[in-house]
Formats: sequence, structure tokens, C-alpha cells
Amino acid sequence: MLPIISADGVGKTFRQLKRQSGFSGAVRSLFSRDYSEIRAVDGVSFAIGAGEAVGYLGPNGAGKSTMIKMMTGILTPSAGALSVLGREPHTHRMTNAAEIGVVFGQRSQLWWDLPVRDSYDLNRHIYDIPEARFADNLAYLTAMLDMASFLDRPVRQLSLGQRMRAEIAMALLHDPKILFLDEPTIGLDVVAKDAVRKFLAEINRERGTTIILTTHDLVDIEEICPRLIMVDEGKLLFDGELKRLRASLGSRRRLTLEFATDPGPLVLTTATLSADEGAAKHFVLEDETVSLIDVLNEVGRGHGLKDVKLDEPDIEEVIRTFYQNKPSLAGAAP
Amino acid sequence: MLRSLALIPHLVGIYVRTRMEYRGAMLLAWLSQAFSYAAMYAAIAIIIFRFETLGGWAWPEMALLLAFHLLAYSLGAALSFVQFRDIEEKVRLGTFDAILVKPVGPWLFIAFSGLNIGYGGHIILALGLMIWSLTQVSADWTMLTALYFLAALISAAMLTAALMTMIGATALVWVRSRHLFSIFFGFWELARYPLNIFPLPLQVLMITFAPLGFLAFIPTAVALGKPVPLLGDWAGPASLAIGPLFVLIAMAHWRHCLRNYQGAGG
Repeated sequence: MLPIISADGVGKTFRQLKRQSGFSGAVRSLFSRDYSEIRAVDGVSFAIGAGEAVGYLGPNGAGKSTMIKMMTGILTPSAGALSVLGREPHTHRMTNAAEIGVVFGQRSQLWWDLPVRDSYDLNRHIYDIPEARFADNLAYLTAMLDMASFLDRPVRQLSLGQRMRAEIAMALLHDPKILFLDEPTIGLDVVAKDAVRKFLAEINRERGTTIILTTHDLVDIEEICPRLIMVDEGKLLFDGELKRLRASLGSRRRLTLEFATDPGPLVLTTATLSADEGAAKHFVLEDETVSLIDVLNEVGRGHGLKDVKLDEPDIEEVIRTFYQNKPSLAGAAP
Repeated sequence: MLRSLALIPHLVGIYVRTRMEYRGAMLLAWLSQAFSYAAMYAAIAIIIFRFETLGGWAWPEMALLLAFHLLAYSLGAALSFVQFRDIEEKVRLGTFDAILVKPVGPWLFIAFSGLNIGYGGHIILALGLMIWSLTQVSADWTMLTALYFLAALISAAMLTAALMTMIGATALVWVRSRHLFSIFFGFWELARYPLNIFPLPLQVLMITFAPLGFLAFIPTAVALGKPVPLLGDWAGPASLAIGPLFVLIAMAHWRHCLRNYQGAGG
């Protein structure tokens, strides 16, 4: 399958005036020509196929938004080759824009003082959407995102969750092949987040729309994106499936065994003791193939085992572990 | 190109609907702007009545100059001033990015989706003053003069929109450009008086680097058959060429700034 997005050694460097502290520093800066180069994106390569849902993840300042801006044609790369739907997005910005949809979590594209429907109507003309297709898409999106109650209300009167649903619908009215979302669930309550996630997963599955998503909320990734691209300081650290990331870190499930009385030292081949509190012993299961039954068989009867608790690592923990160990894990990228 | 032109009524329409959400405020703004200009013109009229002429221009001629100044500025600024003044805010807040992800030219989108009908008061006042002054001036009007006057008005409006575009575009690279509008309006204030009342260096400046001498004085002087300092007989053709010339320069500058747009971070 040919990729619809390919990045080959893409870089983006910003030139920034070196600022000096204090009042005298500010005065000196006026006459200074001393610039530093900030590499927001540094030699990033990946390929994304049609119909994929990819989470683009990284801490603040990692270069996520800059990469999205280059893929959408807003910014021009300083290095490397970037292709979206077979063309350079920055040199064919308008053609590219006609085939993609973009949602900015923190920047509305709706007309603040007008009903939602008016913004949609303008987009119909901007994207030159045939009337019948527009009506079909609007009906589908209104039903899917439960928007009927606020379609005719001014945007300024909508809740954040309603506004975000309206933004996502607007980005999909022209049937884009790729949907870019920059932190779409930021600031939403749990109910609204859930609705947005379910909808995005559905349009990716049902309509085959390729989704590229940046987020700080790792549950977004878990529920929408099977594939993860992780970056930090502009560099690509990991590109692969979430389950491969879990495996590359070791599944690191945590097991707690509670006994009626302290059974004394307990050494197992299937699990590693991480903490010993006497009657409560904590283990880490590093081998993904080891099951709870394997461990219990090894513990055997006769120790007065009272309770067992097995915790799967959540995505937050997986990502945290990844970034804490990133120098040794940078090789996880293909 | 045709698709972009077909989009203009929809962009203007949505902006007008936005303004109509606050009808009272819009009417009040029209009235207050028209009153403030009328008061300023009354002050100039009083000075001229006291001294009879200003740089050799009598009141009806001055009224024509002021009307041309206001009309040319209003036509150009309706397409550009508020829209391009606010670009720095769009860059800072990141909303300019949202324009760049639409399949539409950003200049066209910005100019027409903010086409400022708030200049209605200016235009009504300018037209009224112009009609009155044209009946009072003693110039010998021919069809050619009338055509020149109209073409020079369009050229001056183009000059205004081009200069506003260039200043606004600078924000795409420097993030802030509002201070440049202050410089524009400094020269714009001077542009409503006959150029010959100013010292020579200022005259040169207002014909070259800050060419707002072409906004009203030069075309009005040519139409009235009055001498134009420095330019002489070239004043007529120059005043017709200046608008299209600056539109070309502004287009190149706009494209350059767009290519070098880096956002404001985030």
C-alpha cells in the first residue's frame, strides 16, 4: 500500500533572536543581530497509509504542532521531503487544503456570532461541495454527533463540548481524505471527550478517513489510534503500534499477593519481587507470556494466600516509562 | 480564479450578517465617525475662511481635496484596514493558521470576510461633500477630466489597500506590525492638506517612500489644473500608475511574508 503521507528526514528550524535578561539586556537586544536556531522538528521520517489512525505524541515543545502545520501546508519545512496525498503541502497549499480537514482544539474556525449552520454554509462554498452531498453529510454528522439541538444557535452560546463537536463536523463536511486534529479533547469534560473519541474511531473505521491526532490525553490515543508516533525535542523516538510499545518496555504488569501471615522470603521464576511488606508481597511480571495461573501454580498451596491483585500498566504509565528511559529506547524507532 | 471571485459575495454576506447581530452598535459607529470627520472639516473650513486660502486653495477646492481624501481612503480601507491591522492578533493567537488550511487565497478571505461596512458613514459624508464642492469649484470639467478623476480615485483606493496589506503582512514575519499603522496615519493626516504648504524634504517623502501625496492632493490638483510640486506634468500619469504599481509591490510582499510565515509558536 502506497503511503498517503510520507516524511523523509523532515526538519523545521526557527531563527530566534537571543534575548538578554534585565532592562539593559532588553536595550542591547534592540541592536543585537545574535540569533539562535531552534530545531523544532529534526530529521523526522515516517509513512502513513490510507485509513490509518495515528497518534502523534510528545511533551510540550516536542514539535508535534509544527509537524502538523507542515503536513497541512501552513509551514514550509527547512529540510527533508514531505508529501501529503502525493504532493508537497506547502507548495500546493490550496489543493492540499481541499482534500484534508483540520481541527484545532484551541482555535475555533466557526463564526463566533452566527449560528453553526451559517459557518457550514460558508464552508460549502469554500470547498465547493455539491448541494446533495452537503445535505447528506450534514444529516449524517448531525445525527452522529447529536448536534440537532444547537445547529441554529450562535456559536458564542455553545458549551465547549458542543463547539468541539461542531468544529469536527465542519472539518468533515467536504469528505476529507485525511483529518488532522490538534488536541481535540483539550478542556472537554469526560462525557464530551467520550463522545468525540467514539465518533472519531467510528469515522476512521466506517468511512476510512485517515486520522492524525496530537493530544496530551493518552486515552485519546488508546481509544482512537492503534499506531503511535512519539517525538521529543523534535526527534522521532518511536513509531509503531501501542501494543509493541508496551512489549518493548516489557509488559510490566504488577502483581500483589496478600497472605494471612508472612510466609517469609518468596522467590519466584515467573515474577520478580519488587517490594516485601511481610504479609503483602509485590511482584513485577516482565514476561508477557506468563499468566496469573503460572504464578499461582508456582506459589502453590500452603502459604495461606488470601487475595491476589493484578494491575495492567495503563497507557500513562507506559508513556511515562518510555520518556523516562528515552535515551536507551530511542532505538525503538524503525 | 473564477471560483475565488464567486466566493466573494458569500464572504461579504457572512461578515454583514455578523455585523447585523449588533445593529445598534453599527449605526452608532457610523454616526459617531461621520460626526467626528464633519467636526474636523468644520475646523479646517473656519481656518480657511479666516485666511481665505490655504497654500493657494480656497474652501471649495479644499472641500474637494478633503472629500477625495476621505472617499479614496474609505474605499481602500474598507477592504483592508481593520482586517490587516488585526493580522498580528491572528498570528499571535494562531487563528491565521485556520485560514491557511482552507482552499482559498488568504488575502481574499481576510479582505472580504471582513469587508468593513463600518465605513458607510465616511463614504456618505465624503460623497455629500464631493458633490457640493464639485458644484462650487471653478474648474473646467471635460469628460476626460471626469474619467481621470474617477480612475485616480480608484488608483488612490488601491494605494491605500496595498499599503495596509504590506503593513499587515509584515506581522506574518515580525508578529507585530501595529506600530507601522501609526506611521501610516501620521502621513495620512498630512495628506489632507496641499503638499506645497510643507517643507521640501516632506514633499519628497510624500511622493516617494510614503506616497500618500497621491491619496488626494495630486489627483485633486491635476483635476483642478493646479500646479503639483516636483512632478509637474507627470503628476497625472503618476497618480494613475501609483495604485496598480503598489498593488504589484504589495502582492510580492504578501507572498514573501506568507512564504516566511512561522506562526507565533504552539
